[in-house]
Amino acid sequence: MAVNETLRVLRTLRYDARHFSLFLQAGTIGPQAQPGQFAMLQAGDGWRPYLRRAFSIADVTTWRGVPAIEFVVKVVGVGTETLGRVAEGTPVPVLGPLGVPFPIGDLGPGDRVALVAGGIGLAPLVLLARHLSEKGIQADLFYGGRNESEILKRADFERLLGPHHCRYASDDGSLGRHGLVTELFEGALAGGTRFRRVYACGPVPMFRALAGILEEAKIDGSFAFESAMACGFGVCLGCVAPTADGRFATICREGPCLPPSAIDWSRL
Amino acid sequence: MSTVDLAVQLGTLRLKNPIATASGTFGYGLEFAEFVDLSVLGAISIKGLSLRPCHGNPPPRICETDAGMLNAIGLQNVGVEAFLSEKLPELDRLGATVIANVWGDTEEDYCAVVERIGAERRIAAIELNVSCPNVVKGGMVFGNDPVALGALVRKVREIAKRPLIVKLSPNVGDIVSTARAAVDNGADILSLINTLVGLAIDLERREPKIGFTTGGLSGPAIRHVAVRMVWEVRRALPKVPIFGIGGIEKAEDVIEFLVAGANAVQVGTANFRNPSVSAELVKGVAEWCAAHGESRVSNIVGTLKTRPRPEHTYA
Repeated sequence: MAVNETLRVLRTLRYDARHFSLFLQAGTIGPQAQPGQFAMLQAGDGWRPYLRRAFSIADVTTWRGVPAIEFVVKVVGVGTETLGRVAEGTPVPVLGPLGVPFPIGDLGPGDRVALVAGGIGLAPLVLLARHLSEKGIQADLFYGGRNESEILKRADFERLLGPHHCRYASDDGSLGRHGLVTELFEGALAGGTRFRRVYACGPVPMFRALAGILEEAKIDGSFAFESAMACGFGVCLGCVAPTADGRFATICREGPCLPPSAIDWSRL
Repeated sequence: MSTVDLAVQLGTLRLKNPIATASGTFGYGLEFAEFVDLSVLGAISIKGLSLRPCHGNPPPRICETDAGMLNAIGLQNVGVEAFLSEKLPELDRLGATVIANVWGDTEEDYCAVVERIGAERRIAAIELNVSCPNVVKGGMVFGNDPVALGALVRKVREIAKRPLIVKLSPNVGDIVSTARAAVDNGADILSLINTLVGLAIDLERREPKIGFTTGGLSGPAIRHVAVRMVWEVRRALPKVPIFGIGGIEKAEDVIEFLVAGANAVQVGTANFRNPSVSAELVKGVAEWCAAHGESRVSNIVGTLKTRPRPEHTYA
């Protein structure tokens, strides 16, 4: 059940000029949050930004013993800039948890899954890695970014999944494979690794390539989509994506986690 | 607070308080049940219904603006049949006062939806959407032309068995002429304003930020245009009941519309920003009245004191 509540900022952790983690009090949202779900955050109390912003719930953790929700944020505009300047202790209106989570209930010991992240698409995969690790399910991370400094939270992933199950790709070759994360993933498939399901979050070109790979290899997928949203709970109808059955699905309510086969990629 | 009488009367439509929610910003109401007790609201105007389900426009459909947003959703909805069978019973159970917003491509389409609603007792009023700027046919095509609007309202009035609200477009030279056309042809109540047509541009791509090119501007950015239009219509048509709509965020905004001449208001885009805002406003308006010694909210309506406008003078 989604809650509209005000949560205080516990900490802002900066990675570089464009990326930070925001830790808020967990409130009643944190304990309910499932991997792949998101929350709508109000940045500042002015009229620029006017609307709340949607962020994946990256992790449910603690900060100095206080239950916390973590959001990993890339600064792309006025909303994320404003959120990055919010001081410790500031109350932030938060609506969540929202949306359909990644399907993991059907997995059991012995299953092996892959996590594919592109850029800031790591965000929902941290909590997913935590839940999979707690369930004893083996997961391999394939994570690509522009360069080493934009491939975030590696220590968390490596602790949860094991360092040998985390592989990286970078556009400039500064970390891992010099190239695309989808090439890295294809390499693992070519090497004979079999995955029950692939969980992914990243930019549309990565999704498009990965959807093709999964279809070819007949592997089940669940993609966490991103879209501009006004409301986050299915009423503004602003965040839609075209579906394979010829309609538009709300990313906020029917998603954000959808199987790639549900999407009409030719119209996206 | 119990000393303030919040009830308002709009023709034969009696509402427990002047706070309603605006069509297109409140879904079918049920989506808000987690955040708002629907029974405390004056009314909810649900997402515009067409005869058949409608898919709406391809994305991108929305973009944020300073103090508001642009949208071109394209009237995506489940259709009147699914609404009546799947949504209305639950809304009734939750105690919501439901306004059915309806639209069509043609006069016949509008009439078919209104006929399907018939004398449905769980629908308190019908609101004609003749002002949506985001569709190629119907919508604003009627609302911008007093003659076409009058003809449509007359036809619908003949078959409507519930109070008839006509929602006016602000994208006209003279709001009073469309208001008058609606009232002269049988509108029981007016609601104004719908969104203002706007354009936002992605400068890097030199493309519109919205797939439909233009969109409807809403939010606090349009409030004073809406207040002015309510005042103009109230002045010209002193008796017609009016819902004021446009950029309402706080109790003072509601009062401003009432002073300008609205009998009630509809809260729109603010529902996206804060899904609990409508119920908060019911409380806020009661508090404002109590703090200002107003025992009946309806006493505030149309109390604007204006001075005669001076003619300009030359040195």
